Amino acid sequence: MDPSFDDVWAECEDLFVQARQRLATLKSPQPPHVVQASVNALFRTTHTLKGMAGMLGFPRFSQAAHRMEDIFDLMRQGRLRSTDSLIETLEAGIQALESGLTELRRGRPEPEDYLHAIRRQLGELEALARPSEGAVLDLTGLLDLPPDLLKALSEYERTRVTAVLLAGIPIQGVSVRLDLATFDDRLRSISEAAGAQGELISTLPLEMHDDRDGLFFLLLVATPALETEGLGVLPEENLEVMALADPDRVPASLKADPGPLVAPPPGPAQAASDSPAALPQDVEVLRLPAQRVDALEARLMTVAQVRDSASLALRGIHDPSLARPMAMMGEIEAGLLEVQKALLQMRMVKVESLFQRIEPMVRALSRDMGKPVRLSFQGGDLELERSLLGRLTEPFLHLVRNALDHGLESPEERAAQGKAETGSLKISASQRGRNLRFDLRDDGRGFDLARIEARGIAMGLLKEGQVHSAEDLHRLALEPGFSTKERASQISGRGVGMDVVRAEVEGMGGDIQISSEPRRGSLVRLSLPLSRAVIACLKVRCGQQTFGVPLNHVLRVQSSLAPLHGGGRIEVLGRDLPMESLQACLGLPEPAGGQQFFVVLRQQGAAAEAGLDLALGVDEVAGRVELLLRSLPELAHAPGIMGGSLQEDGVLWVLDPEAVMGLAMDSLMKRVADV
Amino acid sequence: MSESRILLHAKAAGRAFLLPVSELREVVPGVPVTPIPSGPPGIQGVVLHHGEFLPVLDWGVVGGDSGHAAPPAVLAVLRPRLGLPLEGLAGTVETPEGGLNDPPAEDAWRPILAGLCRLENQDLPVLDPDRLLALLHRLRKVR
Repeated sequence: MDPSFDDVWAECEDLFVQARQRLATLKSPQPPHVVQASVNALFRTTHTLKGMAGMLGFPRFSQAAHRMEDIFDLMRQGRLRSTDSLIETLEAGIQALESGLTELRRGRPEPEDYLHAIRRQLGELEALARPSEGAVLDLTGLLDLPPDLLKALSEYERTRVTAVLLAGIPIQGVSVRLDLATFDDRLRSISEAAGAQGELISTLPLEMHDDRDGLFFLLLVATPALETEGLGVLPEENLEVMALADPDRVPASLKADPGPLVAPPPGPAQAASDSPAALPQDVEVLRLPAQRVDALEARLMTVAQVRDSASLALRGIHDPSLARPMAMMGEIEAGLLEVQKALLQMRMVKVESLFQRIEPMVRALSRDMGKPVRLSFQGGDLELERSLLGRLTEPFLHLVRNALDHGLESPEERAAQGKAETGSLKISASQRGRNLRFDLRDDGRGFDLARIEARGIAMGLLKEGQVHSAEDLHRLALEPGFSTKERASQISGRGVGMDVVRAEVEGMGGDIQISSEPRRGSLVRLSLPLSRAVIACLKVRCGQQTFGVPLNHVLRVQSSLAPLHGGGRIEVLGRDLPMESLQACLGLPEPAGGQQFFVVLRQQGAAAEAGLDLALGVDEVAGRVELLLRSLPELAHAPGIMGGSLQEDGVLWVLDPEAVMGLAMDSLMKRVADV
Repeated sequence: MSESRILLHAKAAGRAFLLPVSELREVVPGVPVTPIPSGPPGIQGVVLHHGEFLPVLDWGVVGGDSGHAAPPAVLAVLRPRLGLPLEGLAGTVETPEGGLNDPPAEDAWRPILAGLCRLENQDLPVLDPDRLLALLHRLRKVR
């Protein structure tokens, strides 16, 4: 693929993000002007996608985007009502385009029809929106405006005037006189303010036959009432507000007509009279090649190293008058960390973005398969690198399809087993050590291990007569070409997928594990390494080395009057906990005189009665710190170490608490064995 | 290794050797190496390289001097992101025709060599980064 198109691909990805946000807005009740703004944005998005696909040389994608653009055009003209099923179809269409784009980027050929899965629905929508025989309804004549101004309205503006009047919303006119030098900025500002109060239908230039200087404009705003102060019009701009059209003048026979020109407001009168909902803002997106951010980070790191050297040199001078410069060095350090964090944030997106992509797919599958499902997400606030998000979407969609197709039973089958008819699918994200962990749990039938075993033997992957563990059999489901479905279903079971999921996850340096219990459900666990993260730590010292302990695993920090030794037990708040020194965990020499501090660690997410708590002995507790964590590359992996952070006095190693707890248990067992 | 190519002529762990330039990302001035507590065998620690931790080889893995005391003069960064601490660089040479000879069985570097290259009447070992990485992975497994 031509690298010069990288920016185009990136822009397409951004457009899909925006489209999903706009569709999400349409899913909840909104005032008509918010609905209209979202539909307009979606229309523009699909229009842009169409052009970009043409530029990239994908004519079929361009055609599919054009078809979606047509649907949004029908919506914005008020010819299609915004209903749940319409939004679902649109979501499916956008999802299909997005998946198609991902495949194209991987070098796959164009499919015949990107929108084949929703072809029938799209045909129905187009038929529904087609004007009936005879004249198209036009209510612009109800506007209290001279004929030459009415003629200036575009076809789209006419359909909007008609739609809002049919929906019972009055149209207000806002007339202003703007200075020639600043009229463009002022008009934009006033238009935005008017658009926030209602639907801005048109901005018409006016020709005034008087002696006043300046340019005159008339804004047509669909809203029950305008707050003139909120428009931000200056006194010299001669603001005038007038009622241009009253929906009560619409003939009753037309109001009763539920024809195709009706606007899509949910409870229009009430919604429009409510305070305006916040419109999703069109935020300017700055696109940068990732290498530039890399280079900036590297440069920043060099600056940090120079700062560290300067700090060390200053400390070596031992001059009291240098206290102020030393304090300034601390301020520079804090500033550098802030910039590093900001740079990191540029690369990160919330896991919520991934969940947003999955949710519509689950709902559509659930409906199509007749399997009601209760979907829940957890951990959406966690962050992952943007580059991973794009790569994770397809594997996730496949896993979700599998869970619904093979995992969850039909409602009848569930009822017969004494289960709730509605199945459950829980998707959670959590940070475990240096990994971001995703769990997909369903309460369905679980993997059919007997069938997997039989299939494995038939494929020559297993030997007949041998005992195969459940772990081995689950793992087999991830082998290339392995599928127990004898006939491919429409949804999954085509013999491709799980191995592709595994390859994709392993390609990201991650790992996938499967487990299940018959009739109780399945768990698919993905672990992905985080290369960088900002993490809050407790600083502890052991010998000459300082370590960071992630605070989300720290239950308690305590000192002891008597010296503590690894291998003992200690009572903390009435609980008897095993105690091990951090040095013993990491294979470092233990202090002969024992230790005076300990940190109680708990497995993340574990309840007090279920999880393992452990007292970790340290020489000193040096406070709390927020730091930029960098993972260790695989060649440098060390047990118990999650990564490191460059600090003033060198690298601070950050412990992987779960791994340290494992090392502590190993060490304790060795002590017992030695005894 | 039969085709002609450019080799870096370097010295490490008291021994001169050759390294295919095509296997190098870059050569940078040496900086102090930060050891990793309970770090893996064959890796003396890490340095910060372009904002990321770069593992640095411990030549002790092939019987050389670990050289932990002083920072290396130069660091050769291999494509698979591994730093080779070097004592010095002599320049680059072109592989002479005739291919490589097998290293003697008693050569401690044998597991990480592509062969010996005859250059100006001396046999210089040619490092094979793939073999070196394979050795490091094996060491990790047996730990």
